[in-house]
Amino acid sequence: MPDKKTPKLDELEHGPWPSFVTEIKKAAIRNESAKDLLNLLERSYDDKRGHWKHGGIVGVRGYGGGVIGRYTDLPEEYPHVAEFHTMRINAPSAWFYKTETLRTLCDIWEKHGSGLTNVHGSTGDLIFLGMKTEELQKTYDELSDAGFDLGGSGSCLRSPSCCVGPARCESACYDTLALCYDLTNSYQDELHRPMWPYKFKFKMSGCANDCVAAIARADCSIIGTWRDSIQVDQDQVKAYAESGLDIQGMVCDKCPTRALKYDHEKKELHVIAEDCSRCMHCINVMPKAVRPGKEKGATILLGGKSTIVQSAFLSWVIVPFMKMEPPYTEFKEMVARIWDWWDENGKTRERLGELIYRLGMTKFLREVGLPPVPQMVFRPRANPYVFWPQDEIVK
Amino acid sequence: MSKIDGGPPDYKKLLPPIITENYGQWKYHEIPRAGVLKHVSEKGYALYSVRVGSPRLVSIDYIRDICALADSYCDGYLRFTSRNNVEFLVSDEAKVEPLIKELEAKGYPIGGVGNALSNIVHTQGWVHCHTPATDASGIVKAVMDDLYEYFGRTDLPAKLKVAMACCLNMCGAVHCSDVAILGVHRTPPRVDHEKIRKGTEIPTLVAACPTGAIRPDPKNKSVVVNEERCMYCGNCYTMSPAMEILDAKNDGIAILVGGKVSNARTAPSFSRLVIPFLPNNPPRWPEVTAAVRHIVETWLNNARKGERVGEWIERIGWERFFSLTEIPFTDKHIDDFIFSRETFRTTAAFKY
Amino acid sequence: MEKGPANPEVKEKVLAYLDTVEKAKSKEIAAKIGVPKGDVDLAVKELAMEDKVEYLYITTTFVALKGKVKPPQ
Repeated sequence: MPDKKTPKLDELEHGPWPSFVTEIKKAAIRNESAKDLLNLLERSYDDKRGHWKHGGIVGVRGYGGGVIGRYTDLPEEYPHVAEFHTMRINAPSAWFYKTETLRTLCDIWEKHGSGLTNVHGSTGDLIFLGMKTEELQKTYDELSDAGFDLGGSGSCLRSPSCCVGPARCESACYDTLALCYDLTNSYQDELHRPMWPYKFKFKMSGCANDCVAAIARADCSIIGTWRDSIQVDQDQVKAYAESGLDIQGMVCDKCPTRALKYDHEKKELHVIAEDCSRCMHCINVMPKAVRPGKEKGATILLGGKSTIVQSAFLSWVIVPFMKMEPPYTEFKEMVARIWDWWDENGKTRERLGELIYRLGMTKFLREVGLPPVPQMVFRPRANPYVFWPQDEIVK
Repeated sequence: MSKIDGGPPDYKKLLPPIITENYGQWKYHEIPRAGVLKHVSEKGYALYSVRVGSPRLVSIDYIRDICALADSYCDGYLRFTSRNNVEFLVSDEAKVEPLIKELEAKGYPIGGVGNALSNIVHTQGWVHCHTPATDASGIVKAVMDDLYEYFGRTDLPAKLKVAMACCLNMCGAVHCSDVAILGVHRTPPRVDHEKIRKGTEIPTLVAACPTGAIRPDPKNKSVVVNEERCMYCGNCYTMSPAMEILDAKNDGIAILVGGKVSNARTAPSFSRLVIPFLPNNPPRWPEVTAAVRHIVETWLNNARKGERVGEWIERIGWERFFSLTEIPFTDKHIDDFIFSRETFRTTAAFKY
Repeated sequence: MEKGPANPEVKEKVLAYLDTVEKAKSKEIAAKIGVPKGDVDLAVKELAMEDKVEYLYITTTFVALKGKVKPPQ
């Protein structure tokens, strides 16, 4: 078949930013599916609509997820994307790779699919984009032999992911890579065989800068923090002052709780420890001079999700401070209680946050055995409509 | 038979030796130039990370090419960021400049570090999604071409994080970005009764509607849509292909601004709708690139040092944002979904 | 998290129930056959390995007898 023209997509090969069209064309040199993808996408650019049908019933033996079925709605015209499925490959913690690891993946993918990938998908998996049904099991078998495994899809635990953490960041308050790896391996059943009302996500950030957006998209967000006071190195404060940093203006005046006092004469920075809310601002501006405290752990927040169905939720605090050290027993016991409660009470397609919102935080805390603390709320309720438990009423 | 549940590769075996040696002992970092991070450890080691923006949708040729670079300059070690950047991990300072030269010669964009525009996180769009209201990769390419200069700088007022999602499912934390570009549907689903009768589970379909706009129609063994209650989320289309939501004439793009996920200074917050609709105009979406540039430049020209887009707007007030940008404020900006009341101004103090 | 082998009786009951429906969630199966959901999950895991049932993702994940639900036309 002669190559079709793709004038609209060709326009997207111009300009300084690297072009995904060029990438599809590279793959199309050796692969007919990639070529048809290019042609189908040009069709979408003409029609201003997508041409993919629902996912469905594809997978590999023993897994309930990790593969997302895709079929074009124009299979006669674009036969090589009649089946064009996605495979999610569980990435290593914090996306560290050796080149030999990536090359192994490329070699497998060259043999079995389009040669197109997403590095990475939003959840954090490495994505093989576009394969036929008959290639799925063969691809998985080779991946498995080479030491890889599938990520999650469907109503399961989605692949946990984490920030760069202590591997390369001075602000990490717990080992995000170790926790991510541990949870992923501990919960293989939950990850690979969907059994819940809907999806569940863990995202791990080593500090409150939250570089993996845990608070915005994870049902359980694990955000590093400390319980004592920030540490200030006055020699480094002086060095910043001498380098011209406006410490009063850029650090103290922007401290949200006014917990920092700068002594201009001595060039010293002092913290009112009990006023600090551990937001990371001063540490971000003066990383050499200000560091997290010594008693480190994480804040556990629940309920984050995007818009569907009831609006987007940001995760909210349920445990202000928890030590995050192997074997993570306290954390895992709490997670087990939360999952049981959600599984028992959740409606189909109801995320944990929506369920807690529907049934009430009070009921949730009581039934999973978490003590109410003021760190859970910005401010207490303004109405008097307390649903009093019967055992607190004088009979 | 192959084994199952092997789990992901062990990250400990994929870390460069300098990281294994200094794991958890990093002391501070600096940004010696745009796109480069220098991390210094307690033991005095220095690791240079050179950050390069990728289009996310890449061929195995691309991966092999960056692997060749990592072999030459990084002893075969590299990583990726949560915003689809590649980071070359250089432990030998003498190799930093030669790597940068070769990257520049090959057209890899270096940047996205510190107070810069980072890479746009985005979804599949017309490339591979079944409910998209627009493409994602194409808009991202057009916007990054247009804002390219800001990727390689470090002197913006603060970080600038742009995200793109191709429908209202808003995959990928788009809802908490400085600038969010969002595909939107604007017309209710068109019901194909024949398809419904062939095999849609009606109770599940009815339950999938967040506004209760879908009711069973037992007489026809189908459903009816109360169009006034539909807000075009496409949830029903995900549930059943009989609920056709794609509409080439009416699908388009909305722009939301001012969200963030970091806790620094202010609490994490959602992006807010400022442009309810722009047309789908492939291949380069000029209306979208112009709108994003206009918002970014208004921020650049008016924000104080250190202010993210949302912090700037909250300081000056959203009413001032609309007057400064001259973006028309309409009834579409006022929330009438379920958590709307908290957005209504319950004070007599405001600006013009 | 070793959970041990599934109860063969539960596996038979799961198959028998799935024979009567097009597809189901394991919570529903558990309620209908009167065993704890965890036991059903384990039974489904083994039945999937034996190619007797499969998982379907139709906006949420269901299980069905292998081949019972056809891919889109």
